[in-house]
Amino acid sequence: MRTFSRNVMTAMVILVASPVLALAAPGAVALDSSIKLDKITTVNGQTTHEFVAPQKVVPGNHLLFVTQYRNTSDKPVDHFVVTNPVPSPVALESVGADNFEVSVDGGKSWGKLAQLTVTKPGAAMRAAQDADVTTVRWVIPVIAPGASGTLQYHAVVR
Amino acid sequence: MKRIHNLFAAGAATAALAGANPAQAAGTLAGTLIQNTANATFSSGTSTSTIQSNTVTVKVDQLIGVAVTTLTSTPVTIGTAPAVLIYQVTNTGNGPDTFDLTGAPNVSGNQFNATLQTVAIDTNGNGVYDAGVDTVITNGAASQTLAPDASIKVFLLASSPTTATDTQTSQVRLTAVSVIGSGTPGALFAGKGTAGVDAVVGTSGGTANALANLIASLANVTLTKSAVVADPYGGTNPVPGALVTYSIVAHVAGSGTAGSLTVTDAFPTGTTYQANSMTLGGTALTDTADADAGTASATGITVTLGSVAGGTADKTIAFKVKIN
Repeated sequence: MRTFSRNVMTAMVILVASPVLALAAPGAVALDSSIKLDKITTVNGQTTHEFVAPQKVVPGNHLLFVTQYRNTSDKPVDHFVVTNPVPSPVALESVGADNFEVSVDGGKSWGKLAQLTVTKPGAAMRAAQDADVTTVRWVIPVIAPGASGTLQYHAVVR
Repeated sequence: MKRIHNLFAAGAATAALAGANPAQAAGTLAGTLIQNTANATFSSGTSTSTIQSNTVTVKVDQLIGVAVTTLTSTPVTIGTAPAVLIYQVTNTGNGPDTFDLTGAPNVSGNQFNATLQTVAIDTNGNGVYDAGVDTVITNGAASQTLAPDASIKVFLLASSPTTATDTQTSQVRLTAVSVIGSGTPGALFAGKGTAGVDAVVGTSGGTANALANLIASLANVTLTKSAVVADPYGGTNPVPGALVTYSIVAHVAGSGTAGSLTVTDAFPTGTTYQANSMTLGGTALTDTADADAGTASATGITVTLGSVAGGTADKTIAFKVKIN
């Protein structure tokens, strides 16, 4: 999993997130979503990726969906499950997808992509593909007090 | 960093998920909102909690794209009548756009340059130019607004210059340019997209063109006139009283057709036309204007041959005059 420097991340949140941060948590975890644009630059055959605030987004662009969590309490948090629906205008990309479970049926069943199948009306059952993914989730057994982390998935604008 | 970028897979996926999002070859429509909200559940001690993150929204901008193809794949023959060349212009962008349509008959390598007569949009969508039905536009003027993935057929009517010769070839180009903007891919036109979103020039550069082929199909008409004199003394001297039989051979060559071919010839001064002496291919023609092809007046003859295709047998017209 990629990580970002804290300063850069904070700047991104200010740029792209609504001013209202995580809803008041009945528990003790703060959750923050953001979207970044994967700005791909190729110079002399060297491709570099820069994750920037999405000033302009068009079909074919690659996006990074980021969820940050932080245990704001002084007690450990157990069985932390983050569910992140994949917006319909984008398709999941396989890079980094080994780090989370996916669902191709809106969250009814979960697994690694290779274990899932898709049956569309009038079509034979087939193996699920990246673009079939409707939801992703991460399961974190325990978050220590004050601990934080970043969860993310890549997707391309359809 | 290792990444796999597979735009084709993304496109295929769009079709696969047609239920979730309308299938668009052009991609997600401009103005669509992409929203990200995460939910989480966790337990702490004996309590279980559910929380939701903030929602981040990104609006999809307009990608400008256009494609032009030629629907007339084989060369269109151009002769005395204008040739109709058919093109298709497709909005490959993800938002509504209009396109300036410019026909250009001067293309490098042409053996002749046709004359552009008419630019028209196939209003009734039947793929055939219907004069008076299809919308004629000024060359270079804009199309109607095309929805993403929508296409129109565009007709260019071209006529042959007099300098063209049979079987010469030529090309005519149709260029479509996005009215929103064109230029280097990635160029930004702030606020120019649908509903005020930003517009970004796509890989097409916001412009596209296609060439359609013409081949001249023309007819060359050659008239050859000859005379045979028969004098009253059994000789061939052009003396008063001698009969002169004029023959005019009309030869039509080329792959085209000579339309409305009419042969006229004036009687030489000092001669008198011999009434009803005209023949066409050996068949007698009357002098009066009637069902047959020939007419004789006081001054000359007129034979109407009509449309004669190149390569058909020569037409021989003959008539007699007497030297006064």
